[in-house]
Amino acid sequence: MTSQPMNSPAKTLARRFSKLSPYLWILPALTVYAIFKLYPLVSGLQMSLLRWDGIEDPKYIGLRNFEKILSDPMTGTVLLNNAHYAVGTVVGKIVLSLFLAILLHQALKGRTFYRTSLFMPVVMSFVVVGVLWSWLFNPQFGLINSFLRGLGLDFLVQDWLGDAAVALNSLILVDIWKWYGFHMVIFLAGLQSIPDELYEAARIDGASVWQQFLHVTLPMLQPVMIVNVTISVMGAFNVFDIPFIMTAGGPANATNVMALHIYIRGFKFYRFGFSAALSYVLLVIVTLVAAIQLKLMTSGDNND
Amino acid sequence: MSAARSNDQQPTKPGIHWRPILVTLFNHSILILFTVIIVYPVLWMILASFKTPGELVSNTWGFPSSPAYENYAVAWDKAKLGRALLNSGIVSIGAVLVVVCLSSIAGYAFAKFSFRFGTVILLIFVFTMQAPVPIIPFYVLFVRLKLTDSYLGLILAIASGTIPLSIFIFQAFFRSIPGELREAAKIDGCSEFMAFLRVVMPISGPAVATVSILTFVGAWNEYFMPLLLIRSDELRPLTLTIQVFFLQFGRAEWNVIFATLSIASIPMIVIYVFLQRWFIRGLTSGSIKG
Repeated sequence: MTSQPMNSPAKTLARRFSKLSPYLWILPALTVYAIFKLYPLVSGLQMSLLRWDGIEDPKYIGLRNFEKILSDPMTGTVLLNNAHYAVGTVVGKIVLSLFLAILLHQALKGRTFYRTSLFMPVVMSFVVVGVLWSWLFNPQFGLINSFLRGLGLDFLVQDWLGDAAVALNSLILVDIWKWYGFHMVIFLAGLQSIPDELYEAARIDGASVWQQFLHVTLPMLQPVMIVNVTISVMGAFNVFDIPFIMTAGGPANATNVMALHIYIRGFKFYRFGFSAALSYVLLVIVTLVAAIQLKLMTSGDNND
Repeated sequence: MSAARSNDQQPTKPGIHWRPILVTLFNHSILILFTVIIVYPVLWMILASFKTPGELVSNTWGFPSSPAYENYAVAWDKAKLGRALLNSGIVSIGAVLVVVCLSSIAGYAFAKFSFRFGTVILLIFVFTMQAPVPIIPFYVLFVRLKLTDSYLGLILAIASGTIPLSIFIFQAFFRSIPGELREAAKIDGCSEFMAFLRVVMPISGPAVATVSILTFVGAWNEYFMPLLLIRSDELRPLTLTIQVFFLQFGRAEWNVIFATLSIASIPMIVIYVFLQRWFIRGLTSGSIKG
Protein backbone atom coordinates (compact mmCIF):
# COMPACT_ATOMS: atom_id res chain seq x y z
CA MET A 1 0.00 0.00 0.00
CA THR A 2 3.03 2.33 0.38
CA SER A 3 4.20 4.37 -2.59
CA GLN A 4 7.91 4.66 -1.64
CA PRO A 5 10.38 3.19 -4.07
CA MET A 6 11.38 -0.35 -3.19
CA ASN A 7 14.48 -1.77 -4.70
CA SER A 8 15.95 -4.57 -2.65
CA PRO A 9 14.81 -8.11 -3.50
CA ALA A 10 13.36 -8.50 -0.02
CA LYS A 11 11.18 -5.45 -0.56
CA THR A 12 10.01 -6.64 -3.97
CA LEU A 13 9.04 -9.90 -2.36
CA ALA A 14 7.20 -8.02 0.37
CA ARG A 15 5.34 -6.02 -2.25
CA ARG A 16 4.38 -9.17 -4.13
CA PHE A 17 3.11 -10.63 -0.91
CA SER A 18 1.07 -7.56 -0.06
CA LYS A 19 -0.59 -7.85 -3.46
CA LEU A 20 -1.49 -11.43 -2.71
CA SER A 21 -2.43 -10.95 0.91
CA PRO A 22 -6.04 -9.76 0.36
CA TYR A 23 -6.68 -13.16 -1.20
CA LEU A 24 -5.30 -14.87 1.91
CA TRP A 25 -7.89 -12.98 3.97
CA ILE A 26 -10.80 -14.19 1.88
CA LEU A 27 -9.38 -17.66 1.23
CA PRO A 28 -10.90 -19.48 4.25
CA ALA A 29 -14.44 -18.21 3.65
CA LEU A 30 -14.18 -18.69 -0.10
CA THR A 31 -12.86 -22.25 0.30
CA VAL A 32 -15.76 -23.36 2.50
CA TYR A 33 -18.25 -21.65 0.21
CA ALA A 34 -16.68 -23.04 -2.96
CA ILE A 35 -16.59 -26.62 -1.69
CA PHE A 36 -20.03 -26.82 -0.08
CA LYS A 37 -22.08 -24.43 -2.19
CA LEU A 38 -20.47 -23.76 -5.58
CA TYR A 39 -19.17 -27.27 -6.23
CA PRO A 40 -22.57 -29.02 -5.77
CA LEU A 41 -24.17 -26.36 -7.98
CA VAL A 42 -21.82 -27.40 -10.78
CA SER A 43 -21.24 -31.12 -10.15
CA GLY A 44 -24.99 -31.74 -10.10
CA LEU A 45 -25.18 -30.82 -13.80
CA GLN A 46 -23.21 -33.94 -14.67
CA MET A 47 -25.35 -36.05 -12.29
CA SER A 48 -28.52 -34.80 -13.96
CA LEU A 49 -27.40 -36.63 -17.12
CA LEU A 50 -27.20 -40.01 -15.37
CA ARG A 51 -29.45 -42.87 -14.48
CA TRP A 52 -28.16 -43.63 -11.01
CA ASP A 53 -29.57 -45.09 -7.80
CA GLY A 54 -26.57 -44.03 -5.72
CA ILE A 55 -25.28 -47.59 -5.34
CA GLU A 56 -24.71 -49.24 -8.69
CA ASP A 57 -22.60 -47.77 -11.49
CA PRO A 58 -24.24 -44.70 -13.03
CA LYS A 59 -25.29 -44.83 -16.66
CA TYR A 60 -25.05 -41.82 -18.95
CA ILE A 61 -28.46 -41.14 -20.53
CA GLY A 62 -28.06 -37.64 -21.94
CA LEU A 63 -31.05 -35.35 -21.50
CA ARG A 64 -33.46 -38.21 -20.85
CA ASN A 65 -34.15 -37.04 -17.27
CA PHE A 66 -35.15 -33.60 -18.50
CA GLU A 67 -37.40 -35.13 -21.16
CA LYS A 68 -39.04 -37.21 -18.45
CA ILE A 69 -39.55 -34.12 -16.29
CA LEU A 70 -41.30 -32.38 -19.17
CA SER A 71 -43.60 -35.33 -19.90
CA ASP A 72 -44.30 -36.22 -16.24
CA PRO A 73 -47.69 -34.83 -15.14
CA MET A 74 -46.33 -34.62 -11.57
CA THR A 75 -44.06 -31.74 -12.62
CA GLY A 76 -47.06 -29.62 -13.47
CA THR A 77 -48.85 -30.64 -10.27
CA VAL A 78 -46.01 -29.65 -7.95
CA LEU A 79 -45.23 -26.41 -9.80
CA LEU A 80 -48.91 -25.40 -9.72
CA ASN A 81 -48.91 -26.10 -5.99
CA ASN A 82 -45.82 -23.92 -5.63
CA ALA A 83 -47.50 -21.15 -7.63
CA HIS A 84 -50.68 -21.42 -5.53
CA TYR A 85 -48.52 -21.36 -2.40
CA ALA A 86 -46.64 -18.31 -3.70
CA VAL A 87 -49.80 -16.32 -4.46
CA GLY A 88 -51.42 -17.23 -1.12
CA THR A 89 -48.39 -16.54 1.07
CA VAL A 90 -47.34 -13.37 -0.77
CA VAL A 91 -50.81 -11.78 -0.66
CA GLY A 92 -51.36 -12.84 2.96
CA LYS A 93 -47.95 -11.79 4.22
CA ILE A 94 -47.84 -8.46 2.38
CA VAL A 95 -51.38 -7.33 3.29
CA LEU A 96 -51.13 -8.39 6.94
CA SER A 97 -47.59 -7.14 7.53
CA LEU A 98 -48.16 -3.79 5.81
CA PHE A 99 -51.40 -3.22 7.72
CA LEU A 100 -49.77 -3.98 11.08
CA ALA A 101 -46.61 -2.01 10.22
CA ILE A 102 -48.72 1.08 9.49
CA LEU A 103 -50.53 0.69 12.81
CA LEU A 104 -47.23 0.21 14.64
CA HIS A 105 -45.60 3.15 12.91
CA GLN A 106 -47.77 5.60 14.82
CA ALA A 107 -46.88 7.06 18.17
CA LEU A 108 -48.58 4.45 20.36
CA LYS A 109 -48.01 3.36 23.91
CA GLY A 110 -46.76 -0.21 24.09
CA ARG A 111 -45.27 -0.26 20.59
CA THR A 112 -42.29 -2.33 21.70
CA PHE A 113 -44.58 -4.84 23.40
CA TYR A 114 -46.71 -5.25 20.28
CA ARG A 115 -43.67 -5.48 18.00
CA THR A 116 -41.96 -8.06 20.23
CA SER A 117 -45.09 -10.20 20.42
CA LEU A 118 -45.96 -9.97 16.75
CA PHE A 119 -42.41 -10.90 15.67
CA MET A 120 -42.18 -13.92 17.98
CA PRO A 121 -43.11 -16.74 15.54
CA VAL A 122 -40.08 -15.75 13.41
CA VAL A 123 -37.67 -17.09 16.06
CA MET A 124 -39.47 -20.43 16.34
CA SER A 125 -38.45 -23.57 14.49
CA PHE A 126 -40.60 -24.85 11.64
CA VAL A 127 -40.64 -28.25 13.32
CA VAL A 128 -42.21 -26.81 16.47
CA VAL A 129 -44.57 -24.67 14.39
CA GLY A 130 -45.52 -27.58 12.15
CA VAL A 131 -46.22 -30.04 14.97
CA LEU A 132 -48.11 -27.42 16.99
CA TRP A 133 -50.33 -26.48 14.06
CA SER A 134 -50.94 -30.15 13.22
CA TRP A 135 -52.74 -30.27 16.55
CA LEU A 136 -54.49 -26.92 16.13
CA PHE A 137 -55.82 -28.25 12.79
CA ASN A 138 -56.83 -31.61 14.27
CA PRO A 139 -60.40 -32.20 13.02
CA GLN A 140 -61.80 -33.71 16.27
CA PHE A 141 -59.99 -32.00 19.17
CA GLY A 142 -58.09 -29.21 17.43
CA LEU A 143 -58.32 -25.66 18.71
CA ILE A 144 -59.55 -24.19 15.43
CA ASN A 145 -62.50 -26.52 14.95
CA SER A 146 -63.52 -26.33 18.61
CA PHE A 147 -63.31 -22.52 18.39
CA LEU A 148 -65.56 -22.53 15.33
CA ARG A 149 -68.02 -24.94 16.98
CA GLY A 150 -68.05 -22.74 20.09
CA LEU A 151 -69.06 -19.76 17.96
CA GLY A 152 -71.76 -21.82 16.26
CA LEU A 153 -69.94 -21.62 12.94
CA ASP A 154 -70.18 -25.38 12.35
CA PHE A 155 -70.36 -24.94 8.58
CA LEU A 156 -66.73 -23.68 8.65
CA VAL A 157 -65.46 -26.79 10.45
CA GLN A 158 -63.01 -28.62 8.17
CA ASP A 159 -60.60 -31.48 7.99
CA TRP A 160 -57.91 -28.84 7.57
CA LEU A 161 -55.02 -31.13 6.62
CA GLY A 162 -56.92 -34.20 5.41
CA ASP A 163 -59.12 -32.59 2.78
CA ALA A 164 -57.28 -32.21 -0.52
CA ALA A 165 -59.25 -29.09 -1.38
CA VAL A 166 -58.23 -27.30 1.84
CA ALA A 167 -54.83 -28.70 2.89
CA LEU A 168 -52.59 -26.41 0.83
CA ASN A 169 -54.43 -23.33 2.08
CA SER A 170 -54.00 -24.54 5.66
CA LEU A 171 -50.23 -24.77 5.11
CA ILE A 172 -50.28 -21.28 3.58
CA LEU A 173 -51.93 -19.99 6.75
CA VAL A 174 -49.16 -21.51 8.89
CA ASP A 175 -46.47 -19.99 6.67
CA ILE A 176 -48.11 -16.55 6.94
CA TRP A 177 -48.34 -16.91 10.75
CA LYS A 178 -44.66 -17.83 10.95
CA TRP A 179 -43.21 -15.14 8.67
CA TYR A 180 -45.45 -12.06 8.43
CA GLY A 181 -43.64 -10.51 11.46
CA PHE A 182 -40.40 -10.55 9.50
CA HIS A 183 -42.00 -8.62 6.63
CA MET A 184 -43.70 -6.27 9.09
CA VAL A 185 -40.31 -5.18 10.48
CA ILE A 186 -38.99 -4.55 6.98
CA PHE A 187 -42.05 -2.43 6.17
CA LEU A 188 -41.56 -0.55 9.46
CA ALA A 189 -38.01 0.32 8.45
CA GLY A 190 -39.35 1.51 5.09
CA LEU A 191 -42.06 3.63 6.73
CA GLN A 192 -39.50 5.25 9.01
CA SER A 193 -37.52 6.40 5.99
CA ILE A 194 -40.44 8.37 4.50
CA PRO A 195 -39.95 12.06 5.33
CA ASP A 196 -42.81 13.69 7.28
CA GLU A 197 -42.75 16.67 4.91
CA LEU A 198 -44.32 14.52 2.17
CA TYR A 199 -47.37 13.90 4.35
CA GLU A 200 -47.55 17.56 5.32
CA ALA A 201 -47.47 18.61 1.67
CA ALA A 202 -50.18 16.05 0.86
CA ARG A 203 -52.36 17.35 3.70
CA ILE A 204 -51.96 20.92 2.53
CA ASP A 205 -53.18 19.74 -0.88
CA GLY A 206 -56.22 18.33 0.93
CA ALA A 207 -55.39 14.63 0.56
CA SER A 208 -57.41 12.27 2.77
CA VAL A 209 -55.71 9.61 4.88
CA TRP A 210 -56.54 7.00 2.22
CA GLN A 211 -55.17 9.24 -0.56
CA GLN A 212 -52.00 9.83 1.47
CA PHE A 213 -51.59 6.05 1.72
CA LEU A 214 -52.10 5.56 -2.04
CA HIS A 215 -50.02 8.48 -3.28
CA VAL A 216 -47.30 8.86 -0.63
CA THR A 217 -46.92 5.70 1.45
CA LEU A 218 -47.22 3.05 -1.28
CA PRO A 219 -44.92 4.69 -3.86
CA MET A 220 -42.32 5.48 -1.21
CA LEU A 221 -42.44 1.88 0.01
CA GLN A 222 -41.69 0.47 -3.44
CA PRO A 223 -38.10 -0.65 -2.67
CA VAL A 224 -39.06 -2.53 0.51
CA MET A 225 -42.15 -3.87 -1.25
CA ILE A 226 -39.91 -5.44 -3.91
CA VAL A 227 -37.68 -6.95 -1.21
CA ASN A 228 -40.66 -8.36 0.70
CA VAL A 229 -42.39 -9.79 -2.37
CA THR A 230 -39.18 -11.37 -3.67
CA ILE A 231 -38.32 -12.97 -0.33
CA SER A 232 -41.81 -14.45 -0.04
CA VAL A 233 -41.93 -15.70 -3.63
CA MET A 234 -38.52 -17.35 -3.27
CA GLY A 235 -39.60 -18.82 0.05
CA ALA A 236 -42.73 -20.22 -1.58
CA PHE A 237 -40.75 -21.98 -4.32
CA ASN A 238 -38.17 -23.34 -1.86
CA VAL A 239 -40.70 -24.42 0.77
CA PHE A 240 -39.98 -27.86 2.25
CA ASP A 241 -40.28 -28.04 6.04
CA ILE A 242 -44.00 -27.21 6.42
CA PRO A 243 -45.41 -29.70 3.88
CA PHE A 244 -42.87 -32.38 4.81
CA ILE A 245 -43.70 -32.23 8.53
CA MET A 246 -47.43 -31.50 8.38
CA THR A 247 -48.77 -33.45 5.39
CA ALA A 248 -45.82 -35.23 3.70
CA GLY A 249 -47.17 -33.86 0.43
CA GLY A 250 -50.59 -35.46 0.83
CA PRO A 251 -53.47 -35.99 0.59
CA ALA A 252 -53.12 -37.21 -3.01
CA ASN A 253 -50.23 -34.82 -3.75
CA ALA A 254 -52.42 -31.82 -2.90
CA THR A 255 -49.53 -30.32 -0.92
CA ASN A 256 -46.62 -31.80 -2.86
CA VAL A 257 -44.19 -29.05 -3.85
CA MET A 258 -40.98 -29.00 -5.87
CA ALA A 259 -38.49 -29.24 -2.99
CA LEU A 260 -40.44 -32.14 -1.51
CA HIS A 261 -40.73 -33.83 -4.93
CA ILE A 262 -36.94 -33.55 -5.36
CA TYR A 263 -36.37 -35.06 -1.89
CA ILE A 264 -38.83 -37.91 -2.38
CA ARG A 265 -37.49 -38.85 -5.86
CA GLY A 266 -33.95 -38.77 -4.49
CA PHE A 267 -34.20 -40.35 -1.08
CA LYS A 268 -37.37 -42.46 -1.18
CA PHE A 269 -37.08 -43.79 -4.74
CA TYR A 270 -33.30 -43.44 -5.11
CA ARG A 271 -33.55 -41.80 -8.52
CA PHE A 272 -30.48 -39.63 -7.99
CA GLY A 273 -30.09 -38.48 -11.62
CA PHE A 274 -33.75 -37.56 -12.01
CA SER A 275 -33.76 -35.75 -8.67
CA ALA A 276 -30.62 -33.78 -9.61
CA ALA A 277 -32.27 -32.77 -12.88
CA LEU A 278 -35.37 -31.59 -10.98
CA SER A 279 -33.12 -29.42 -8.79
CA TYR A 280 -32.06 -27.46 -11.84
CA VAL A 281 -35.67 -26.83 -12.81
CA LEU A 282 -36.16 -25.32 -9.35
CA LEU A 283 -32.89 -23.42 -9.65
CA VAL A 284 -33.96 -21.85 -12.95
CA ILE A 285 -37.30 -20.73 -11.46
CA VAL A 286 -35.71 -19.20 -8.36
CA THR A 287 -33.04 -17.51 -10.49
CA LEU A 288 -35.77 -15.99 -12.68
CA VAL A 289 -37.49 -14.57 -9.60
CA ALA A 290 -34.18 -13.11 -8.39
CA ALA A 291 -33.46 -11.67 -11.85
CA ILE A 292 -36.87 -9.97 -11.95
CA GLN A 293 -36.17 -8.49 -8.51
CA LEU A 294 -32.77 -7.19 -9.65
CA LYS A 295 -34.35 -5.68 -12.76
CA LEU A 296 -37.08 -3.94 -10.75
CA MET A 297 -34.61 -2.66 -8.15
CA THR A 298 -32.15 -1.23 -10.67
CA SER A 299 -34.88 0.38 -12.81
CA GLY A 300 -36.18 1.97 -9.61
CA ASP A 301 -32.73 3.41 -8.93
CA ASN A 302 -32.58 4.99 -12.38
CA ASN A 303 -35.80 6.87 -11.80
CA ASP A 304 -34.52 8.53 -8.65
CA MET B 1 -51.19 7.39 7.64
CA SER B 2 -50.17 9.47 10.63
CA ALA B 3 -53.70 10.58 11.27
CA ALA B 4 -53.28 10.60 15.04
CA ARG B 5 -50.30 12.88 14.87
CA SER B 6 -51.82 15.25 12.32
CA ASN B 7 -54.74 15.98 14.59
CA ASP B 8 -52.44 16.87 17.45
CA GLN B 9 -50.80 19.53 15.35
CA GLN B 10 -53.94 21.31 14.27
CA PRO B 11 -54.98 24.45 16.14
CA THR B 12 -56.88 23.26 19.17
CA LYS B 13 -60.13 24.40 20.65
CA PRO B 14 -60.76 23.81 24.33
CA GLY B 15 -62.65 20.62 25.20
CA ILE B 16 -62.19 16.92 24.50
CA HIS B 17 -61.00 15.83 21.05
CA TRP B 18 -62.82 12.63 20.31
CA ARG B 19 -61.31 11.77 16.97
CA PRO B 20 -57.70 11.15 18.08
CA ILE B 21 -58.97 9.21 21.08
CA LEU B 22 -61.12 7.01 18.87
CA VAL B 23 -58.25 6.48 16.43
CA THR B 24 -55.93 5.45 19.28
CA LEU B 25 -58.60 3.16 20.70
CA PHE B 26 -59.11 1.58 17.26
CA ASN B 27 -55.35 1.07 16.79
CA HIS B 28 -54.95 -0.56 20.18
CA SER B 29 -57.90 -2.87 19.76
CA ILE B 30 -56.68 -4.10 16.36
CA LEU B 31 -53.14 -4.60 17.66
CA ILE B 32 -54.36 -6.42 20.76
CA LEU B 33 -56.56 -8.65 18.60
CA PHE B 34 -53.65 -9.63 16.38
CA THR B 35 -51.26 -10.04 19.30
CA VAL B 36 -53.72 -12.49 20.87
CA ILE B 37 -54.18 -14.41 17.61
CA ILE B 38 -50.43 -14.65 17.10
CA VAL B 39 -49.26 -15.36 20.64
CA TYR B 40 -52.14 -17.49 21.86
CA PRO B 41 -51.13 -20.72 20.07
CA VAL B 42 -47.69 -20.52 21.72
CA LEU B 43 -49.14 -19.82 25.18
CA TRP B 44 -51.66 -22.59 24.62
CA MET B 45 -48.83 -24.99 23.74
CA ILE B 46 -47.08 -24.22 27.04
CA LEU B 47 -50.34 -24.62 29.02
CA ALA B 48 -51.14 -27.87 27.21
CA SER B 49 -47.71 -29.25 28.14
CA PHE B 50 -48.88 -29.28 31.78
CA LYS B 51 -52.17 -31.08 31.14
CA THR B 52 -53.06 -34.76 31.37
CA PRO B 53 -54.27 -36.46 28.17
CA GLY B 54 -57.84 -36.39 29.47
CA GLU B 55 -57.66 -32.71 30.38
CA LEU B 56 -56.30 -31.86 26.96
CA VAL B 57 -59.68 -32.84 25.51
CA SER B 58 -62.06 -31.98 28.36
CA ASN B 59 -60.40 -28.69 29.32
CA THR B 60 -58.93 -27.55 26.00
CA TRP B 61 -58.99 -23.81 26.61
CA GLY B 62 -58.36 -23.29 30.29
CA PHE B 63 -55.45 -23.56 32.70
CA PRO B 64 -54.47 -27.07 33.86
CA SER B 65 -56.19 -27.93 37.16
CA SER B 66 -52.97 -29.31 38.65
CA PRO B 67 -49.82 -29.06 36.52
CA ALA B 68 -48.70 -32.46 35.22
CA TYR B 69 -44.94 -31.94 35.55
CA GLU B 70 -44.39 -35.59 34.72
CA ASN B 71 -45.00 -34.76 31.03
CA TYR B 72 -41.61 -33.06 31.07
CA ALA B 73 -39.91 -36.01 32.76
CA VAL B 74 -41.43 -38.42 30.23
CA ALA B 75 -40.51 -36.15 27.31
CA TRP B 76 -36.97 -35.71 28.58
CA ASP B 77 -36.39 -39.46 28.94
CA LYS B 78 -38.32 -40.86 26.00
CA ALA B 79 -37.23 -38.33 23.42
CA LYS B 80 -33.65 -38.13 24.85
CA LEU B 81 -33.96 -34.36 24.88
CA GLY B 82 -30.81 -33.84 26.94
CA ARG B 83 -28.67 -35.30 24.21
CA ALA B 84 -30.67 -33.43 21.55
CA LEU B 85 -30.16 -30.09 23.32
CA LEU B 86 -26.44 -30.81 23.59
CA ASN B 87 -26.24 -31.66 19.87
CA SER B 88 -28.15 -28.53 18.86
CA GLY B 89 -25.93 -26.43 21.13
CA ILE B 90 -22.69 -27.87 19.72
CA VAL B 91 -23.81 -27.43 16.12
CA SER B 92 -25.23 -23.93 16.62
CA ILE B 93 -22.21 -22.60 18.54
CA GLY B 94 -19.87 -24.32 16.09
CA ALA B 95 -21.66 -22.70 13.15
CA VAL B 96 -21.50 -19.27 14.84
CA LEU B 97 -17.74 -19.65 15.46
CA VAL B 98 -17.02 -20.76 11.88
CA VAL B 99 -19.21 -18.07 10.30
CA VAL B 100 -18.00 -15.20 12.50
CA CYS B 101 -14.30 -16.08 12.07
CA LEU B 102 -14.33 -16.71 8.34
CA SER B 103 -16.69 -13.95 7.29
CA SER B 104 -15.25 -11.20 9.52
CA ILE B 105 -11.78 -11.74 8.06
CA ALA B 106 -13.13 -11.87 4.51
CA GLY B 107 -15.45 -8.91 5.10
CA TYR B 108 -12.51 -6.85 6.35
CA ALA B 109 -10.52 -7.58 3.19
CA PHE B 110 -13.46 -6.57 0.98
CA ALA B 111 -13.99 -3.37 2.99
CA LYS B 112 -10.40 -2.14 3.36
CA PHE B 113 -8.23 -3.54 0.57
CA SER B 114 -8.63 -3.02 -3.11
CA PHE B 115 -7.62 -6.02 -5.15
CA ARG B 116 -8.03 -7.19 -8.68
CA PHE B 117 -10.73 -9.85 -8.47
CA GLY B 118 -12.43 -8.49 -5.36
CA THR B 119 -15.53 -7.28 -7.18
CA VAL B 120 -15.76 -10.46 -9.22
CA ILE B 121 -15.64 -12.61 -6.10
CA LEU B 122 -18.27 -10.44 -4.40
CA LEU B 123 -20.51 -10.79 -7.44
CA ILE B 124 -20.12 -14.58 -7.33
CA PHE B 125 -21.39 -14.45 -3.73
CA VAL B 126 -24.29 -12.16 -4.68
CA PHE B 127 -25.45 -14.28 -7.60
CA THR B 128 -25.17 -17.67 -5.94
CA MET B 129 -26.14 -17.02 -2.32
CA GLN B 130 -29.87 -17.37 -2.91
CA ALA B 131 -29.62 -20.33 -5.26
CA PRO B 132 -31.11 -23.51 -3.78
CA VAL B 133 -28.37 -26.16 -3.63
CA PRO B 134 -29.20 -29.32 -5.61
CA ILE B 135 -29.48 -31.82 -2.79
CA ILE B 136 -28.20 -34.91 -4.61
CA PRO B 137 -24.72 -33.58 -5.47
CA PHE B 138 -24.66 -31.90 -2.05
CA TYR B 139 -25.37 -35.20 -0.31
CA VAL B 140 -22.95 -37.16 -2.51
CA LEU B 141 -20.20 -34.63 -1.71
CA PHE B 142 -20.72 -35.13 2.03
CA VAL B 143 -20.68 -38.91 1.62
CA ARG B 144 -17.42 -38.78 -0.37
CA LEU B 145 -15.78 -36.45 2.16
CA LYS B 146 -17.03 -38.76 4.95
CA LEU B 147 -18.79 -35.78 6.54
CA THR B 148 -22.23 -37.33 6.93
CA ASP B 149 -23.25 -38.19 10.46
CA SER B 150 -20.79 -35.78 12.05
CA TYR B 151 -20.95 -32.48 13.90
CA LEU B 152 -18.32 -31.00 11.61
CA GLY B 153 -20.27 -31.87 8.47
CA LEU B 154 -23.48 -30.36 9.82
CA ILE B 155 -21.64 -27.22 10.96
CA LEU B 156 -20.02 -26.74 7.55
CA ALA B 157 -23.30 -27.42 5.74
CA ILE B 158 -25.08 -24.73 7.74
CA ALA B 159 -22.15 -22.28 7.72
CA SER B 160 -21.71 -22.42 3.95
CA GLY B 161 -25.26 -21.12 3.57
CA THR B 162 -24.82 -18.06 5.81
CA ILE B 163 -21.26 -17.02 4.93
CA PRO B 164 -22.12 -14.65 2.01
CA LEU B 165 -24.72 -12.63 3.91
CA SER B 166 -22.41 -12.46 6.93
CA ILE B 167 -19.55 -11.18 4.78
CA PHE B 168 -21.82 -8.38 3.52
CA ILE B 169 -22.87 -7.45 7.06
CA PHE B 170 -19.22 -7.32 8.24
CA GLN B 171 -18.10 -5.46 5.13
CA ALA B 172 -20.74 -2.74 5.62
CA PHE B 173 -19.75 -2.39 9.27
CA PHE B 174 -15.99 -2.23 8.64
CA ARG B 175 -16.52 0.43 5.96
CA SER B 176 -17.97 2.67 8.66
CA ILE B 177 -14.84 2.38 10.85
CA PRO B 178 -12.41 5.28 10.26
CA GLY B 179 -9.16 4.30 8.55
CA GLU B 180 -7.02 6.27 11.06
CA LEU B 181 -7.60 3.59 13.65
CA ARG B 182 -5.97 0.96 11.52
CA GLU B 183 -3.13 3.33 10.55
CA ALA B 184 -2.46 4.17 14.19
CA ALA B 185 -2.25 0.50 15.10
CA LYS B 186 0.14 -0.14 12.23
CA ILE B 187 2.39 2.75 13.27
CA ASP B 188 2.54 1.14 16.69
CA GLY B 189 4.13 -1.82 14.95
CA CYS B 190 1.12 -4.05 14.52
CA SER B 191 0.86 -6.12 11.37
CA GLU B 192 -2.31 -5.72 9.33
CA PHE B 193 -3.79 -8.86 10.82
CA MET B 194 -2.84 -7.93 14.40
CA ALA B 195 -4.41 -4.50 13.89
CA PHE B 196 -7.58 -6.25 12.75
CA LEU B 197 -7.59 -8.61 15.73
CA ARG B 198 -6.54 -6.18 18.46
CA VAL B 199 -8.06 -2.89 17.31
CA VAL B 200 -10.89 -3.52 14.84
CA MET B 201 -12.57 -6.64 16.22
CA PRO B 202 -12.93 -5.34 19.80
CA ILE B 203 -15.06 -2.43 18.56
CA SER B 204 -17.08 -4.61 16.16
CA GLY B 205 -19.54 -5.91 18.73
CA PRO B 206 -22.67 -4.84 16.83
CA ALA B 207 -21.66 -6.67 13.63
CA VAL B 208 -20.52 -9.76 15.56
CA ALA B 209 -23.83 -9.78 17.45
CA THR B 210 -25.90 -9.43 14.27
CA VAL B 211 -24.08 -12.24 12.47
CA SER B 212 -24.06 -14.47 15.58
CA ILE B 213 -27.81 -14.15 16.16
CA LEU B 214 -28.60 -14.68 12.49
CA THR B 215 -26.44 -17.81 12.38
CA PHE B 216 -27.41 -19.17 15.80
CA VAL B 217 -31.18 -18.91 15.27
CA GLY B 218 -30.84 -20.39 11.78
CA ALA B 219 -28.70 -23.29 13.00
CA TRP B 220 -30.83 -23.99 16.09
CA ASN B 221 -33.98 -24.14 13.97
CA GLU B 222 -32.39 -25.92 10.99
CA TYR B 223 -34.29 -29.04 10.04
CA PHE B 224 -33.41 -29.94 6.47
CA MET B 225 -29.62 -30.30 6.84
CA PRO B 226 -29.78 -32.77 9.75
CA LEU B 227 -32.56 -34.65 7.93
CA LEU B 228 -30.20 -35.04 4.99
CA LEU B 229 -26.90 -35.63 6.80
CA ILE B 230 -27.51 -37.18 10.24
CA ARG B 231 -28.16 -40.92 10.48
CA SER B 232 -27.43 -42.01 14.06
CA ASP B 233 -29.79 -41.31 16.96
CA GLU B 234 -27.08 -39.89 19.22
CA LEU B 235 -26.22 -37.07 16.83
CA ARG B 236 -29.74 -35.85 16.13
CA PRO B 237 -30.32 -32.18 16.95
CA LEU B 238 -33.49 -30.97 18.63
CA THR B 239 -35.50 -30.36 15.45
CA LEU B 240 -34.93 -33.83 14.03
CA THR B 241 -35.47 -35.44 17.46
CA ILE B 242 -38.85 -33.75 17.84
CA GLN B 243 -39.97 -34.77 14.39
CA VAL B 244 -38.93 -38.42 14.87
CA PHE B 245 -40.58 -38.47 18.32
CA PHE B 246 -43.74 -36.91 16.85
CA LEU B 247 -43.91 -39.63 14.21
CA GLN B 248 -43.46 -42.37 16.82
CA PHE B 249 -45.68 -41.18 19.68
CA GLY B 250 -47.44 -38.06 18.52
CA ARG B 251 -50.87 -39.38 17.76
CA ALA B 252 -51.13 -41.01 21.17
CA GLU B 253 -49.34 -38.72 23.62
CA TRP B 254 -50.01 -35.15 22.64
CA ASN B 255 -49.38 -33.73 26.10
CA VAL B 256 -45.86 -35.18 26.05
CA ILE B 257 -45.36 -33.80 22.54
CA PHE B 258 -46.28 -30.34 23.82
CA ALA B 259 -43.69 -30.72 26.58
CA THR B 260 -40.99 -31.46 23.98
CA LEU B 261 -42.12 -28.51 21.87
CA SER B 262 -41.99 -26.25 24.94
CA ILE B 263 -38.50 -27.43 25.91
CA ALA B 264 -37.39 -26.72 22.34
CA SER B 265 -38.88 -23.23 22.11
CA ILE B 266 -38.94 -21.68 25.59
CA PRO B 267 -35.16 -21.04 25.80
CA MET B 268 -35.17 -19.31 22.42
CA ILE B 269 -38.29 -17.28 23.24
CA VAL B 270 -36.86 -16.13 26.59
CA ILE B 271 -33.56 -15.06 25.02
CA TYR B 272 -35.52 -13.36 22.26
CA VAL B 273 -37.69 -11.38 24.67
CA PHE B 274 -34.62 -10.09 26.52
CA LEU B 275 -32.61 -9.29 23.41
CA GLN B 276 -35.53 -8.49 21.10
CA ARG B 277 -33.94 -5.39 19.55
CA TRP B 278 -30.86 -7.41 18.59
CA PHE B 279 -32.89 -10.35 17.36
CA ILE B 280 -35.11 -8.26 15.15
CA ARG B 281 -32.16 -6.34 13.74
CA GLY B 282 -30.12 -9.50 13.25
CA LEU B 283 -32.82 -11.58 11.58
CA THR B 284 -33.87 -8.86 9.14
CA SER B 285 -30.39 -7.44 8.50
CA GLY B 286 -30.03 -9.07 5.11
CA SER B 287 -33.08 -7.26 3.81
CA ILE B 288 -32.68 -3.77 5.26
CA LYS B 289 -29.80 -1.61 4.17
CA GLY B 290 -27.64 -0.13 6.95
